[in-house]
Amino acid sequence: MNSAIAVVLLVLLTGIFFILPLLPALIELRLKRDAQPLNVIHEHAGEIRHFSYGFRSCIAALLESLHKCVLSGTPARGTLPNGDRYLLLGHTDDTRLVSPGGKTTCESVVAFGMDVVLPNGITFDKEIYAAGQLTGGEKSVFRALLGEQDIHLGRASTVVRWAHAVGSFRAKHDCDLYGRISSDREIELESGCAFQRLNAPHIALGRSGAEETDVSADTVLNPSLRGRRLVDEDLEIRAGEIVSENIVARGKLHIGAGARVLGSVKSHKHMALEAGVRVDGSLISASTMHIGPDCRITGPVISEHGMEIETGTHCGSFGTPTTVSAPTIQVADGVSVFGTVWARTEGQVVAQR
Amino acid sequence: MLYSLFFIVALICVYTARHYVFTLNRLFGFQRHPYIDIDVASWPRVTVFVAAHNEEKVIWNILAALMEVNYPKDKMLVVPINDRSTDRTAEIINLFSEENPGRIRPFHRAAGKAGKAAALKDAMESADTEVILIFDADYIPSSGLIKQLVAPFFDPEVGGLMGRVIPLNGGTNLLTRLLDFERSGGYQVDQQARMNLGLVPQHGGTVAGVRLSALREIGGWDDNSLSEDTDLTYRLLLAGWKTVYQNRSECYEEVPETWEARIKQLMRWAKGHNQALAAYSFRLLFGKHRATLRERIDGFLLLGVYGMALLMLIGWILALGLFYEGVAPLHGVIALLAITAYGAIGNFAAFFEIAAAARLDYTRQRIYLLPFLVLGFAVSIFSVSRACVSQMLAPITGAKFHWDKTQRFRTSR
Repeated sequence: MNSAIAVVLLVLLTGIFFILPLLPALIELRLKRDAQPLNVIHEHAGEIRHFSYGFRSCIAALLESLHKCVLSGTPARGTLPNGDRYLLLGHTDDTRLVSPGGKTTCESVVAFGMDVVLPNGITFDKEIYAAGQLTGGEKSVFRALLGEQDIHLGRASTVVRWAHAVGSFRAKHDCDLYGRISSDREIELESGCAFQRLNAPHIALGRSGAEETDVSADTVLNPSLRGRRLVDEDLEIRAGEIVSENIVARGKLHIGAGARVLGSVKSHKHMALEAGVRVDGSLISASTMHIGPDCRITGPVISEHGMEIETGTHCGSFGTPTTVSAPTIQVADGVSVFGTVWARTEGQVVAQR
Repeated sequence: MLYSLFFIVALICVYTARHYVFTLNRLFGFQRHPYIDIDVASWPRVTVFVAAHNEEKVIWNILAALMEVNYPKDKMLVVPINDRSTDRTAEIINLFSEENPGRIRPFHRAAGKAGKAAALKDAMESADTEVILIFDADYIPSSGLIKQLVAPFFDPEVGGLMGRVIPLNGGTNLLTRLLDFERSGGYQVDQQARMNLGLVPQHGGTVAGVRLSALREIGGWDDNSLSEDTDLTYRLLLAGWKTVYQNRSECYEEVPETWEARIKQLMRWAKGHNQALAAYSFRLLFGKHRATLRERIDGFLLLGVYGMALLMLIGWILALGLFYEGVAPLHGVIALLAITAYGAIGNFAAFFEIAAAARLDYTRQRIYLLPFLVLGFAVSIFSVSRACVSQMLAPITGAKFHWDKTQRFRTSR
């Protein structure tokens, strides 16, 4: 072979082997198949009612037909644009249609135009809409529920994705509530219920009463009230002590019974509040947290690893709604939260010891 | 020469290990997002400052976006800072203010020191809210962003806050696509890993917040600083305040579309960062203050990132020099192992980090562009080295630092 050709071939081959691994890059650069900016969602803002709003707009087209069903007392069937079958029921006697012939599974989207009491043990594979009050049977499984009035779930029922009640939402003992549960008025869960994300003006976990506290909204984050006490080790606030600063403890933090903190509190390790403690600001633990009975917390309550709340404790108030959040939350029977409870992994209402 | 080379190689190894620790933490470690769940609260009053120097192309967009956020209207005041603009920025701000009475309080600055820190310092004299948020004018906040950025301040230890920056024009050309990658690695992996590990997330000066009482405690903005965000991060740290990072608080920005603009931006960042290195590194490592040991070490390494570019360049020169001098620092199997390890692990640490970020962002085809990062890396190393050298020579040459505003490319109202 001519040496000049050999050199040219060598250069060509080298060039090819150099370019070869860059081919996918060159193709992507040319075709821009993945050049869109990352999607920053502008609308939802983490709104807990996002899915219920979506379902409501989807069901809006059926409301006129549902109204006719109520007036005529006859059911109607059809197919939604997404291919799901639907069933519109306008009379109480029609509820047997959700489980014809003793079937335990309902595969249609169901819209009730009136108050309804559902039978026990039915699994609803699709969403349910209720224009009136909806009372679920025991041991039922719901994919998603939207109630224009109250929703009451029977014992040991399950919500798989979300539920929203314009009125109050109540779940009897031992329900499993996955995903988002919201109400425009009140949520009440009995003991044994498991949950993830709850939102309502008042959330009663177990038997508890709503009451207003006298803390104004501005005290949650108002620097003019106090300075900051930063402690590099464990800290104990004595029983009955009144602290007028924000507290940051880089070790454990223990707050004695009846103490009051006018500011916010943070600990890097375990935080423990004894009975009757009152914190006007927020409560933040980078570890675990135990809140004793009958405490009053005004601001957000955050624990990065897990939280236990004893009976009689109130977080927030009607005037100062708040968020309680931790990967796992164990709440004793009789706790009130005004706003959001968010257990990323699992929350549980346990019977009073 | 040989010991200098060993020293540089040791430093490179430390930074390589740091890249791997961060990346593996993001892929497999416990992820901290402690404040992101706060969706209901008694929201405090907040002031949002928008720094604007000749921003006629973009200022309307951010003000319009801020009017649409879901924060209680009576608790949020927007203060656009018109910093000595010579274009239509002032006119646009005034027009917008008239259209949204009571929600905007323009701050017009006609004279004074140049630079964002100086503008913020002047504008914040009248601030009376505990929570202050800061945006550059080219950013476009989403509806829920303000609540997300305010939420961490319920933690009494938090003095500063940083959200995530996402390029809006990332698909424009090769440079913007590379910058998109770099931002992704820097925020999705680097910043979040530092947050996870309790290290020092860096305040970025935009999509960011600061607690007014903490800012006043540390003496306010330093208007001599070229990089007010880095400066703030370290002064907060030394005073026992935490800067936290929220990866899910995302905001669009515009990245430079020309290499010239990019090089200017890099050089300004490098100079500002090195300024902080000179001012705080010794105190941070050995001083008596509230930072923990891990914060001291990570903080020091973070301060040194721009200095490493110059050191690496010197390392290459030393290695070549030693080679031609006939010095072989390593022999036999050790040399083979070292070269193999460097090729297989060390050289790719930053690429691994960026690839991990792309995976965490659920992007697909853009990962193919990874080899082109070498180009961005080369430009960075020479620009940053040039900035370092000019900074070191400044006392001799008498050159003054000056603020190079990043050029905007958007065409808008």
